[in-house]
Amino acid sequence: MSSSTGSLRRSAGSLLIVVVVWELVGKLELIAGGTFPPLSAIFGRLYDDRADYPQHLAATLRSAGIGFAVGSVIAIGCGILFAQFKMLERIFRGVSITFFAVPLIVLVPVLLLAFQGTMPRIILAIIAVYFPVMVSTLIGVRDIDPRLAEVIRVSGGTDRDVMRFVRLRAALPAIFAGLRVGGPGALLGVMLVEFGGGVRWGLGTYLLGSLGRGEPARLWGIGLLATMIAGISYGVFSWFGAYFLRTNLSTTVSMKASSTTLDSDDRYTGLQRLVLGIASFCTVLVLWSGALRLMNLSPVVARGPVAVVRYLFTGARGADARDRLLSALGETLPLAGIGLMFGLLAAFVLALLLDLFPIVGSAFFPFALISQSMPLPALTPLIVLVFGRSVLATVVVTFSVTFFPSYVTIAQALSSSPQGAIDVAESYGARRLQVLRFIRLPQAIGSLLTAARLAAPRALLGVMIAEYLATGNGLGNLLNESRGKLDYGMIWTVGAVSVTFAVLLTQIISKLERQIGRKFLV
Amino acid sequence: MNQLSRRQFIGRSAAGGATLLGLSAFLNACAKSDGKTSSGGSASPLSMQAAWINDAEFMGYFIAMTNGYYAAEGIELNYLSGGPDVIPESSLLSGIAPLALTTPDSTIKAIVDDGAPFVIVGTQYQKNPIGIVSLKKSNINEPKDLIGKTLAVPPVNTITVEAMLKISGVDKSQLTIVPYAYDPTPLIKGEIDASMDFTTNVPYTISQLGEEASSFLLYDFGVTLYNDTVVVTKDALSSQRELIVKWLRASRKGWEENFKDTTKYPAMFADSYFKGTGRTIENEVFFNGAQQPLMESDGGFFSMSDEGIENNLRALSEIGIKGTKEMFDTSLLAEI
Repeated sequence: MSSSTGSLRRSAGSLLIVVVVWELVGKLELIAGGTFPPLSAIFGRLYDDRADYPQHLAATLRSAGIGFAVGSVIAIGCGILFAQFKMLERIFRGVSITFFAVPLIVLVPVLLLAFQGTMPRIILAIIAVYFPVMVSTLIGVRDIDPRLAEVIRVSGGTDRDVMRFVRLRAALPAIFAGLRVGGPGALLGVMLVEFGGGVRWGLGTYLLGSLGRGEPARLWGIGLLATMIAGISYGVFSWFGAYFLRTNLSTTVSMKASSTTLDSDDRYTGLQRLVLGIASFCTVLVLWSGALRLMNLSPVVARGPVAVVRYLFTGARGADARDRLLSALGETLPLAGIGLMFGLLAAFVLALLLDLFPIVGSAFFPFALISQSMPLPALTPLIVLVFGRSVLATVVVTFSVTFFPSYVTIAQALSSSPQGAIDVAESYGARRLQVLRFIRLPQAIGSLLTAARLAAPRALLGVMIAEYLATGNGLGNLLNESRGKLDYGMIWTVGAVSVTFAVLLTQIISKLERQIGRKFLV
Repeated sequence: MNQLSRRQFIGRSAAGGATLLGLSAFLNACAKSDGKTSSGGSASPLSMQAAWINDAEFMGYFIAMTNGYYAAEGIELNYLSGGPDVIPESSLLSGIAPLALTTPDSTIKAIVDDGAPFVIVGTQYQKNPIGIVSLKKSNINEPKDLIGKTLAVPPVNTITVEAMLKISGVDKSQLTIVPYAYDPTPLIKGEIDASMDFTTNVPYTISQLGEEASSFLLYDFGVTLYNDTVVVTKDALSSQRELIVKWLRASRKGWEENFKDTTKYPAMFADSYFKGTGRTIENEVFFNGAQQPLMESDGGFFSMSDEGIENNLRALSEIGIKGTKEMFDTSLLAEI
């Protein structure tokens, strides 16, 4: 690790290179006949449009801020509760994973049916924030250095004291790591509703109104502004996280390799596991139908689990609906798999490269952030002009949504190799490459599955977005067409099926992860 | 590990429940502060669901709000903008608004398939502004010219494009249909040959970008549909009939005022309805002028003639949607 001024200078240097290259590529119209605008044009456009922005920005920040705050409170509360009552966590696991895996574009039309005003925006932000913050809180509170808890207990402290003096304090860096991911998520969720929901003010609204102008500089300006907000929130929470990491744990080395898994099921018997699995599944169904009943929606619009099953299997058009659904799934699922592989592979290679050449990392970071917070409708013309509307375009979009979370997970594993092991290797004269090969690499391979688990639902989302923006195939298109035809049964079916597959995929990878983890990472 | 007593558990759960209740109250408060506060008085509130974000398509309603035409009729109008994820019929079904501007194809399909309780009481457009927009140099002047080409269609307009192809005898497999994402860039760059959109709107943008556009209306090639049909729920029709008639009267007045000078109001709304929409006032002026011939009719704005209704039903029956005359109710217009 170099000094902070050194890394700052390096970041500034590489940022300069990014700016110059971007400007040249844009000015010379190298990409898609000038559809990728130079930075100067983007900022010029931002300046020209400066009168438009304040109200949009204020509206977006307000909803995202409320959603983020409320979502964080709920998520941290749930994380602490789940860490204490493991059974509760297990029963609500289906709900948690559903919130994590649900493609947000499926939720937007549904939320717009059920709520008015700013509610749909706030709720989507809460859903986007919930999972990362809940999981990181749960893990932070749970995986403490057991010696610290012993100290409290030996001194006559209760579990409550352990929670207060050890767990909550030790969890702070993890909680901030969760908030760091949740911030951009809340922003994107809010913009998604603004874009689709007939909202008067908001960056998403401005994006929709501007799409029809065919002026990429405006669209990129909106995207860059969103990126900047995401970047600032990411930076602020990173700083807090680092601060608490320094003040908290300066002397301790965690005894337990940090894991990002939820509680393992090992201590249950097969039967217990089955019962818990069913309970967790039923909780989702009960909440789904309960929520619909509470909102008192028309049964034509709002379909519960029973109505979806009836639509598919006993309804007059059931056979036709099943055919359309199956052929859409056949198009979507393989692509999600391919996109996920590419995203993981690229993230893995890049994380290794960056570990060897940190300078590339700081140059790469702005792009990574853009890929996270640049609204995809703004990028669609660029994508279809460069990659066409084929499988390639779909894979590219999927790649762009899966790559970053995978990269973060793998890079974290690389950098969190136990310092003791590295010290041992270095004292025997190991070079950087050897440390990488013998210590960091095995650690990173272990994290691949973790990355895959986190990225799998996003891969499905990526394919669906590409399908409805560019290719017109698969589940994404089916969802959109069904909206045009007011085929509410199909809208809910696509939602339920896509969540089911995302959850299944997550669970399968999670199982693999635990089995492999038991072999290698004890 | 946790030896928590049952009482503690209940206590904590109750605290958690209370927190959640507090949260939802807080959220409601946050959400409500954004909405309009009701002014009280004798005016009757009425919500209408529009079909898209604020643009010239809805000039008449903006004028009627600004000039107090609704207030004069005793209506306190709650105008709800639309967007790509807003299905106006859904707003009717879920009780968000009793009155919505819809496309007749989706509305009639919902009545036929699901028995949706809708009645069409008027239409904003006598001729649907939706058409095929292309660059002049592509020489696409009728549906048959699309054979072998790539056409971008908003996925929500699938029924409309199916109707066009069926009526003009073109098979779906003879052209490539891709999703339209509301951005004309792929059209300008030649990545697609044509797009399906409002002919009142996109040709202006294309001319701004230095290309010459050509377009034709689907209406002129057999897809004789209305658009922005005024649809109310059966419930509203029986309980708020007077109010709906008043709404039609005030809205008609708004549109009449608008077409006295199509350039006047767009500029006036630059700092209100059209502020910060991302679109230009010049674009709205173009739109406003272009939509005039599609809206005017002998019976006055919103009117639905027997012939017009039959045309709609015939076009829809071509694609297997069997509507009936009873789905239209012209008696409210007669009372204006």
